[in-house]
Amino acid sequence: MPTDIAVPYLDISDPAFAMHSEAVRNARSQHWYAKTNYGFAILRYEYVSKLLKDPRLSQGSGKWPDHNGVHSGLFYDWWTKCLLVLEGDDHHRIRRLLNPAFSPRHIEPYLPRFEELAIELIDGVLDKGEFEYVNDFAEPYATRVLCILLGIPETEWPTIARLASTIGLALGVTLKQDLGVVEDALQELYGYAENLIADRQANPGDDLVTKLVQANADGDTLSDSELRNALCLLIFGGMDTTRNQLGLGMMSYLHNLDQWELLAKNPELARAAVEEVMRTNPTTTWVTREAVVDFDYEDLHVDAGTTVHFFTQVSGTDPEAYPNPEIDITAERAPHYGFGGGMHHCLGHFVARADMTIALKVLSQRMTNMRINGADEWLPDSGNTGPVKLPIAFDKR
Amino acid sequence: MQVYVDRAKCDNHGQCTFSAPTIFRLDEQGVLQYEEHADESLRNDVEEAADVCPLQAIFIKD
Ligand code: HEM
Ligand code: HEM
Ligand code: SF4
Repeated sequence: MPTDIAVPYLDISDPAFAMHSEAVRNARSQHWYAKTNYGFAILRYEYVSKLLKDPRLSQGSGKWPDHNGVHSGLFYDWWTKCLLVLEGDDHHRIRRLLNPAFSPRHIEPYLPRFEELAIELIDGVLDKGEFEYVNDFAEPYATRVLCILLGIPETEWPTIARLASTIGLALGVTLKQDLGVVEDALQELYGYAENLIADRQANPGDDLVTKLVQANADGDTLSDSELRNALCLLIFGGMDTTRNQLGLGMMSYLHNLDQWELLAKNPELARAAVEEVMRTNPTTTWVTREAVVDFDYEDLHVDAGTTVHFFTQVSGTDPEAYPNPEIDITAERAPHYGFGGGMHHCLGHFVARADMTIALKVLSQRMTNMRINGADEWLPDSGNTGPVKLPIAFDKR
Repeated sequence: MQVYVDRAKCDNHGQCTFSAPTIFRLDEQGVLQYEEHADESLRNDVEEAADVCPLQAIFIKD
């Protein structure tokens, strides 16, 4: 093994750190991984594709509350039992029971409703020629899609959005201080989930929650508390991600208006338009894993317990895997990892793919010549990113 | 029942192994291995695997 390979270093907690930067691109051309202040970052497509699914790495967020001084209570119990952090047989069991309800055939009946929603939201601002895209479209769309899916009255979307973002405080390093409000919000969300479950048990329908209530694999079913935890995770894991990804999508096409025109003329390219955004501009810019055992992979030695970040945007624009990495909605592309990979591959990806495809199709058929129209605001370009505010002006098509 | 996985599509996520573990498994290298013949009694499980595969790479013949 050559010892003279220079391994780049990236300080990923530096507030100035950005995925879309010369430093990160240079690191990727220098070597397939970088050292970081947390552990390692995998930069190249080929290696992300292989290692992301490696069983010697586990999801790794399970210890988050403990790392932040929270060792018990409502949030702790929810977090340590939710799908995202479960491993092995516990994860397989829950995932198997949830998976079928999220398959294309069960999502399809909801698509006309998603389309009506997208049309309603954009028609409301079409004559004005300007709007704040996140507030007026991406957030209500992402939240109401989940309400539709779960059968929560759509008029309650602002409450759901507020609860989910309050619980989102738990992702911050101030978890311990915020614990009170986080737990209140989780309790309130539990209330919604418990009502939904009780209602579908009494009045089964043809909807997703009924399918989860009735989910049965070889006699095994989800208990009421497993159902409740899962519904809360769907709300939490499906909303901000979709809102942010829609925001990043708009930004991508603001910079690629020729591709937008191509999409408007060829609505059947909308699905590819979503994939290209997620490849080049994913909201989840890294996926986190933790080594379960010591292991070596080529020249990389990983000790058990080390954090490994998989850089999705960086690997998705790796020139070795994508010789012309710019957005091209007509190109055949290798799959990206914006939905993670392996056992924890996003449960809701068929929903997210379908609802974003509809959104881009509807928007591209109504808007042209979009431009930034005021001050935009952004989450940092690392971790889970996206616009917080994106005022745009456009011409009605 | 005949099972076919399109290798050009399959990305070895292993979601199929939850639905029909006797037909689909990941080997030590993390690569999908599967049985090309499945007993009729496993039809529901194999159909479920095909339904949930993120890449929609699984096909069932007859
Ligand atoms: C564009 C929108 C979305 C993006 C970018 C996204 C991204 C991701 C990623 C990267 C993971 C894997 C995390 C990891 O491997 O560590 C994941 C997992 C997950 N996602 Fe999504 N997601 C989106 C939408 C949704 C939606 C709409 C739902 C629910 C309806 C959802 C539910 C979940 C769940 C439950 C998991 C955990 C799966 C497991 O651990 O087995 N996601 N998502
Ligand atoms: C199911 C959908 C979810 C997806 C797709 C998802 C995705 C991600 C991703 C990609 C990261 C890495 C980014 C980073 O480290 O900053 C992350 C980190 C994190 N997530 Fe989630 N998440 C989901 C649900 C949740 C839920 C329900 C919680 C709990 C409230 C949560 C808490 C955290 C925490 C605490 C971190 C930071 C972990 C660390 O930096 O070590 N996530 N999540
Ligand atoms: S679920 Fe699909 S992509 Fe994943 S291993 Fe099975 S066949 Fe391959």
